[in-house]
Amino acid sequence: MTRLRRAGLAPEEGPHAVAAVGPGGLRIVALDGPARAHGLRPGELLGRVRARVGVPLHIHPADPEAEAKALHRLCRWAMRYAPLVAPFGPAESCHGFYIDIEGASHLMGGERALLDDLAMRLARADVPARIALADTPGGAFALARCGAAGSLLVPSGETAAHLMALPVEALRLEREVSTGLRRLGLRRIGDVEALPRSGLARRFGLAPLLRLDQAIGRRPEPLAPLAETRTFSGARGFLDPIGRQEDVVAASRSLMDEIAPRLERAGLGACALRLTLHRVDGAMRALEIGLSRPERSPERIAALVSLRLERLGAGLDAGFGFETVELTVTSAETMSPRQGTLGGSGSGERIASLADTLAQRIGRRLVRLAPQDSHVPERAEGIVPWIAPARPYPADLPARPLVLFAKSEAARDVFATAPDGPPHRFRWRAREYRVARAEGPERIAPEWWRESGEPRDYYRIECEAGQRLWLYRDGPHGQERPATWYVHGMFP
Amino acid sequence: MVQEPMRQPQEATVPDRLARLRLELSTGEATALPVMPLGLTAVDSHLPGGGLVLGPPHEVTPADPCDGTAALAFALALCARRLSGVPGEALIAAAPGHPLPYGHGLADLGLDPRRLLLLEAAGDREVFRALEAALHAGCLAALIGLVGEGLPLKAGRRLQLAAEGAAPPLLIILRPAGPGPPNGAATRWSISSAPAAVDRFGGLHAPRWRARLERCRNGRGGSWLLEWDSAAHRLHLPERLADDAAAAGRACS
Repeated sequence: MTRLRRAGLAPEEGPHAVAAVGPGGLRIVALDGPARAHGLRPGELLGRVRARVGVPLHIHPADPEAEAKALHRLCRWAMRYAPLVAPFGPAESCHGFYIDIEGASHLMGGERALLDDLAMRLARADVPARIALADTPGGAFALARCGAAGSLLVPSGETAAHLMALPVEALRLEREVSTGLRRLGLRRIGDVEALPRSGLARRFGLAPLLRLDQAIGRRPEPLAPLAETRTFSGARGFLDPIGRQEDVVAASRSLMDEIAPRLERAGLGACALRLTLHRVDGAMRALEIGLSRPERSPERIAALVSLRLERLGAGLDAGFGFETVELTVTSAETMSPRQGTLGGSGSGERIASLADTLAQRIGRRLVRLAPQDSHVPERAEGIVPWIAPARPYPADLPARPLVLFAKSEAARDVFATAPDGPPHRFRWRAREYRVARAEGPERIAPEWWRESGEPRDYYRIECEAGQRLWLYRDGPHGQERPATWYVHGMFP
Repeated sequence: MVQEPMRQPQEATVPDRLARLRLELSTGEATALPVMPLGLTAVDSHLPGGGLVLGPPHEVTPADPCDGTAALAFALALCARRLSGVPGEALIAAAPGHPLPYGHGLADLGLDPRRLLLLEAAGDREVFRALEAALHAGCLAALIGLVGEGLPLKAGRRLQLAAEGAAPPLLIILRPAGPGPPNGAATRWSISSAPAAVDRFGGLHAPRWRARLERCRNGRGGSWLLEWDSAAHRLHLPERLADDAAAAGRACS
């Protein structure tokens, strides 16, 4: 529902509901406030609901993919509090996330301050949320789902005591199990806890015991965190949001100052970096910075960040400023310590630094030409990154043009005296050419292992004005099939 | 009373400064900058300093739309000449619409494709920015920019400033157009294909280009018929027409 509202898809007043295909037809999966007020509940059949509710109901189709994406975005945002954020899995019906704030809460001024900040920001972003902090993920989930409204903080060691009064549904059990427990009169978690374990396991399997142990903390529960391995990264928060380009560059430089020794210890250099800028209003801007060679010099990185920001210019919408700047090494490669000390004295390293500058300043890659294994002219050459090892060109090839057109252009009104000879005059690019001299033909057959094609007869011709062209006749020709000519390139 | 001591030193320095400026002018800026000779006595003796001045950009334009390849070949021939003398690589930054050279055809110009770096830019502005960055980096032996519109004065000045010190030769290849307003370029060459000499066997002989020096800072214009020797990889004046071309060069100036 929140996703729809934030995307502006549910603008009108009145009850809205999200429906998806379920057993027995379309069933409601999510509701908004007015719909709840009409007595609707998730899981009801849409047809019955329509008949019961007097007012028109706005139905939206469920889009699990978009919901997963929205949750992913929210989790990414929540990484501002702690690096370990795990979205809910299917057991928790995928509508929330865990944050492991152990060792991170002091950065926000304590657990209570962190919870308040999280609640305040979510409320400001119009995301309704129930927040709970407990010793275990299961405990926190139970308290958030079934505990008191608002943000709930359970002091360390008291989670088990708080859980006992909650209904069994809070244990993340399957529907049949929880209804079964209820039928036996076990409504609270405390009731289940009081029973002998062996009987419970015989009756309901191991699931309730496992969930109970995880919630109370008798058994560990590993989370599946969202993040990639962010071993080399740093973040800096600002009390006063920053907006100027120089400040962002200075922040990246000091972050790289922190990261560089760690990289050096690991014998690595950064090949790609991501600079994430968190704006005050919650928007996020990620800038990717690629390097042609492993690099860990803070000055060099700062220079590239500066060039990248320069290229963005006004495109970097600082708004009211950025409050957090995060620098992450997204790709690292081994880098020998000698490279760093040389510091760009070799020609190759200076070209590497030029290539990086160009990539950041105008966003273009430096390339070079490389021969390919093919005898068909248009396939005999490719473009490779400049850093690729240069391959030598074959030296035994007959004369080739200086400029080869990517697509050969048809020559029209061709007049040839001999049927198998070069043309005498022709029209190309709205201009008439008269041939003064010609050399050829050079027959180039198509590659039989590819598509079928006709062999081409290439001629080098010189026009009366002095231009030299590379023409070819496509395929065989005869009485019923006149020869077709194409211009494929130009000689100096 | 207060102004007196301030004015005195100023007046004393004015003649000195004038004398210094006159001295600077008489020595000439052309001799101060290094040059790259073309290897043709007739052309080099015509150019101030004895070659293409290194630092400011040089414009090369085809005389006709169908002479684009000749202009590119002329620039690449100069580039090959430079690369044969110094180590390092050359950069070609091209705006869209300009064909890039074909590696298999570069051997005729004596250029090793492995020493060529390419950059496909989205427009003239990007080409100039790339050339500027390359000049600042100072790690390339030659620079060629292929642009669509032309060289504006601002870009020309920026390039010249970026090339302070030991600079590689910088050639800008333009679309065919008449000489525009001054733009900081040292020379402007207009290149067109010319009919080659008749081979004994009726084949294609060495290609010839008509090179017109349309503009030359501190020098005169000229026109020469050049022939490319693809075996020795050098330009030369065709023997029989050498005298005529020199005469034509004199007549044009």
